Amino acid sequence: MIMEEKGKSRLRWGGVLAAITLWLIAAGIGAQGEKPADKSQERPDVLMIDTLKAFGDLEKPRVVFLHDLHTDALEKKGKDCSACHLREDKSGKIPGAENLEDAVKGIDKLSPKFKRLKDTARQDVMDVYHKFCIECHTDMSSAGDKAGPVTCGGCHQKNPVKSSRQEMGLDKSLHFRHIKANDKKCEKCHHEYNEKEKKLVYVKEKEADCRFCHKKETEEKRISMRLASHIACVDCHRQILAKKNPDEKAGPVKCAGCHDLIKQKAIEKVAEVPRLERKQPDTVLVKTSVTEVDSKTYKMPPVAYDHKAHEGYNDTCRVCHHASMDACSKCHTLSGSKDGQFVNLEKSMHLASSNKACIGCHLKKQETQKCAGCHSFITKTKMKETSCKACHVKVPGEPEITPKTDTAPLAKAVLDARQAIITTYPDEDIPEKVVIKDLVKQYEAAEFPHRKVIQTLVKNISENKLAGYFHTDQGMICQGCHHNSPISKKPPKCANCHGKPFDEKSLYAPGMTGAYHQQCMGCHEAMGLKKPAGCTGCHKER
Amino acid sequence: MISESALSTIKSLLKPDKTWLTPFNIVCGVILVLGAIATLLRFTFGLSAVTNLTDYQPWGLWIGFDLLCGVALAAGGYVTSASCYIFGLKRYHSAVRPAILTAFLGYALVVFALHYDVGRPWRLPYPFIVQSGTTSVLFEVGGCVALYLTVLFIEFTPPVLEWLGLKKARNLVVKLTLVLTIFGVILSTLHQSSLGALFLIAPSKLHPLWYSTYLPVYFFVSSIIAGLSMVMFEGSLSHKYMHDKMDKTHLEESENVVLGFGKAASFVMAGYFVVKVVGITMDNNWKYLFTGYGLWYLVELLGFVLTPCLMYAVGVRERNLNLIRKTAGLAVIGIVLNRFNISLIAFNYHLPLSDRYFPSIWEFVVSAFIVVVGLLVFRFISTHTPILYEHPEYKEAHH
Amino acid sequence: MSISRRRFLAWMGGAGAGTAALATGANAGSKHFDGYPGSFGVLHDITHCVGCRSCEEACNKVNELPPPDKPFKDLTVLEQNRRTTPKAHTVVNKYLKPGSEKPVFRKIQCNHCLEPACASACFVRAFQKNKEGAVVYDASVCVGCRYCMVACPFEIPTYEYDKVLAPRVMKCTMCAPRLAEGKLPGCVEACPKEALTFGKRDDLIKIARERIRKFPDRYINHIYGEKEMGGTSWLYLSGVAFKDIGMREDLGVVSAPELTSGALGSVPIIVGLWPVLLTGIYAISQRKDKAALEEKTQAIVEAVAKAKKDAEKKLADALAKAAKDKDAAVKKALADAAKAKKEGA
Repeated sequence: MIMEEKGKSRLRWGGVLAAITLWLIAAGIGAQGEKPADKSQERPDVLMIDTLKAFGDLEKPRVVFLHDLHTDALEKKGKDCSACHLREDKSGKIPGAENLEDAVKGIDKLSPKFKRLKDTARQDVMDVYHKFCIECHTDMSSAGDKAGPVTCGGCHQKNPVKSSRQEMGLDKSLHFRHIKANDKKCEKCHHEYNEKEKKLVYVKEKEADCRFCHKKETEEKRISMRLASHIACVDCHRQILAKKNPDEKAGPVKCAGCHDLIKQKAIEKVAEVPRLERKQPDTVLVKTSVTEVDSKTYKMPPVAYDHKAHEGYNDTCRVCHHASMDACSKCHTLSGSKDGQFVNLEKSMHLASSNKACIGCHLKKQETQKCAGCHSFITKTKMKETSCKACHVKVPGEPEITPKTDTAPLAKAVLDARQAIITTYPDEDIPEKVVIKDLVKQYEAAEFPHRKVIQTLVKNISENKLAGYFHTDQGMICQGCHHNSPISKKPPKCANCHGKPFDEKSLYAPGMTGAYHQQCMGCHEAMGLKKPAGCTGCHKER
Repeated sequence: MISESALSTIKSLLKPDKTWLTPFNIVCGVILVLGAIATLLRFTFGLSAVTNLTDYQPWGLWIGFDLLCGVALAAGGYVTSASCYIFGLKRYHSAVRPAILTAFLGYALVVFALHYDVGRPWRLPYPFIVQSGTTSVLFEVGGCVALYLTVLFIEFTPPVLEWLGLKKARNLVVKLTLVLTIFGVILSTLHQSSLGALFLIAPSKLHPLWYSTYLPVYFFVSSIIAGLSMVMFEGSLSHKYMHDKMDKTHLEESENVVLGFGKAASFVMAGYFVVKVVGITMDNNWKYLFTGYGLWYLVELLGFVLTPCLMYAVGVRERNLNLIRKTAGLAVIGIVLNRFNISLIAFNYHLPLSDRYFPSIWEFVVSAFIVVVGLLVFRFISTHTPILYEHPEYKEAHH
Repeated sequence: MSISRRRFLAWMGGAGAGTAALATGANAGSKHFDGYPGSFGVLHDITHCVGCRSCEEACNKVNELPPPDKPFKDLTVLEQNRRTTPKAHTVVNKYLKPGSEKPVFRKIQCNHCLEPACASACFVRAFQKNKEGAVVYDASVCVGCRYCMVACPFEIPTYEYDKVLAPRVMKCTMCAPRLAEGKLPGCVEACPKEALTFGKRDDLIKIARERIRKFPDRYINHIYGEKEMGGTSWLYLSGVAFKDIGMREDLGVVSAPELTSGALGSVPIIVGLWPVLLTGIYAISQRKDKAALEEKTQAIVEAVAKAKKDAEKKLADALAKAAKDKDAAVKKALADAAKAKKEGA
């Protein structure tokens, strides 16, 4: 080849090689791949700024904003919330949340928005963020402090830090502390919207959960729960703290203070919370039909409900009063209504999968270690017919019940008459020891301390009213092991039903060995017993 | 019956002399000795003593290299004879005999290597004579390889028969050329593609970039590329080291062989590249290209398929025989890389590093041993029989 | 060599006969095998397994396998995730999900697929699915190619690499000989918790579904093996996600034989069509050469004929001209002679 041609060819090859190298490098960079999520990096103060969504599609990824990080950094510089959050205007109204004016008169509120009072136009909002964020970061970094990013990609991250924010709410104890701190002035937080007067008013004895009105997203005339709780809670705390009075304590103002799991768990709990005073009933008769006038046409006896006792069993009201403080049957009608999401009365009481329903909550209680030994084997998908009568009890005398009848005393009468069965058959009727000699080839016979176990189980029930009410028969406790048979003082032996394993004619029952091991070991495991352990814990080796 | 020259060659073999101790021969000798030791170890202490094969990786270097690469690189036999006898391209005639010899030795050594790898090699004929597992792709591979080895053997006999002076036999065999060639192409299509089809059964073990329902197609097309490239590659080696054994026709035709095969190889490689891209698209696997394995895949596809494709094209256009020959070497490495990727590297990609396989030193020894045996036998046959030249007595019988 | 019509037709007939004779039912893609009716299986309820290794011990005893390095009572082996080995057809592994204190135990062994990959892959039919549902191994024909180990998606078969004369592929046989005697598989018999339920596969699916129905919180709503790889005879119920206990959830429902049936089905087609194609190419190339040769000879003939014609014409013209010249010369000579006589007298 002539020299010229050689040079040209070399150039060509160089070009090809360069192209390939570039491609390989690009692929290599791309091949870095995503780093796996690091749990230790999760934080509770992660905010994703996507305000521009209201104006159309986002062009860049949402911005990650770590609120506590900024609060701490500004605190070090001696700045407070007003560094970013503007004060209300002189009219005393909260800009962007005008309808709160009456409730918050006289309180110096800050707007929850960043460096602005209103979201006006897309470019304006964008400019606000860009100007102030980047400015502050630039200033801080030129002053030599650690500062945030100033480049586009530094804030608009594709793989942001994951949020570990826990939802926050008041339970009985925390609510009581607030009542005390505010001298029982409920109007400080509780309000409702009066349609006629078109403003927010406080109505005594009608105080309700914020979430009943304030939903997840801000609506036309109603701010979101998030905004409402921050304006009401955080701002109040901020003002108290701003007073710098050592005697006046206040809740947190930083994200982590409420939303961090560990800090939540560390919130001081009041041991004995006095009952909330809202003129709520002590007892309620839950009628199985709301509109029935003639009590004689009732199909199911009503249920006497001990409201007072249940207030004690739960941490909040909203466990049951999940949408309003009214009676359940107001929305959950007999055949279901739109207000009740078409969950009818029966389902609202009996749904096994919901904590809001009576049955669902009671079934959850069966999962405690003391109960789980027997109850982990009992299916929750179908209720026993005999357990209906534990709740559905005929009112003594069977009086006529109209919508005008005051049913509270009737309910009280039923409740007083109710008995918790917390005993079982006398000791002499319970075999003391049961010797199981089925695996005698490999192991010695197992000596099962039958009476002792039952006595322990009875003791567990005796400490639990719920169990007592539902164990409606002395022999019910035997059903934990002597299952799939009628209640009797002399229940069948295991060997009566469990024989050879894998019997085609009884597909669903294990064989003898499997039955023993599954029942015994299952109960021990569910109850968290450490002993007996291993094979030799129950039967010694030969 | 046997010719004078044959007798004298055999006699000289039995009397080695000092001229045999070239550096190449010494290295080969060492490898032969090591290979003999490896053989002994393998058949006294079992596979666990000489290989790193595990229950996770039952097929290692011997299958990956000796079998898969061996069969692919021996494809020159059917490709060359097809182009000469079926497509009627007579100008490649001088390339046929070396190609057939390479192919025959290649397949024979594949079967030889199989005796090391398989647990009970004396049972290798069982699928045909005891019990057939016709649902198995391996059955088809075995059957086709066995038949093709027979075809190659017959096709390989003419030069030996010429050397031995057995005219009648030689003429009879030569008459069968066309039928044997057609049969050879059929068998080659079947077993080359089936070697790829072997891996169809394990989609969960092969990385998605290499696993495809088109695996048989990929293997068949790449075998054509391998055959063309290998003919050029070993042609260049023969040119360098056995130039004096080549006759005028061979030397004259060699340029056309390189140019023609280079052009064909470039063309087929372009098609192969396109088909591979189609395969990635059909299985929606583009996202895998941005991973570590994806990068490696791109190295194979771009560096060892697209690059030699372009190099071949440039070489042919500029009639640069050197470039084409170098590209042939690159293409051969590319085929080996592809077979290694599928059987060893991208296979079991899902397992942790501690469960992955790397061949043991004895596995390398045995593979090298087999290659050396192949080289030495090739050298012997092509120096003593009319492979690189035409036997003077049969010049007019040139078909 | 030109191809005569008769010969061409003979080739076509041969190709057709070849295709017909060799065509095996290649449309396996539309068929689905649900298992031999009444075949057995085992349901492994992972929520019951306590990792006691009784099953491993029983399997070892029943199959007369060599004793293990550590005794079966030693539960510390559970700290490492193990796989089947030539000495152990089955192992129990312990899995601890991060964030949970309760370990989960699972027994690993051959899943006795309805359409086993190993049986499909074996080129001597050493693996066969029998009517009882077990996938059994015939060591008397095994060549030791180990393709079955490549094929198995569950990575179960193991090989006796350290044997020279009689290395075998080792895996669970569902105790097929014991089943034939009406006994239970060793592991099933030994499990104290009846975490292994033996029965007809259809019944086991019923049992599994019933358990899920009765205790939806206890089980993941999936019977592993019901459809995986076309269905297996060994089924699993679990309380934790299967991928957290070492069971692949990405295997799909297509059985292994279906994966290769397409490639195998193309074999008779190639055998039938390639002779036609290749002979056709050969014939065309021969014809092309012949046509080229004919054209060449024809051109030569025409050129020769033309040259001859031209030469003849040239000759005729020359002769005519010569005759003319001769006449003229003679005339002139006579005229000259006459003139000379006149002047001479």
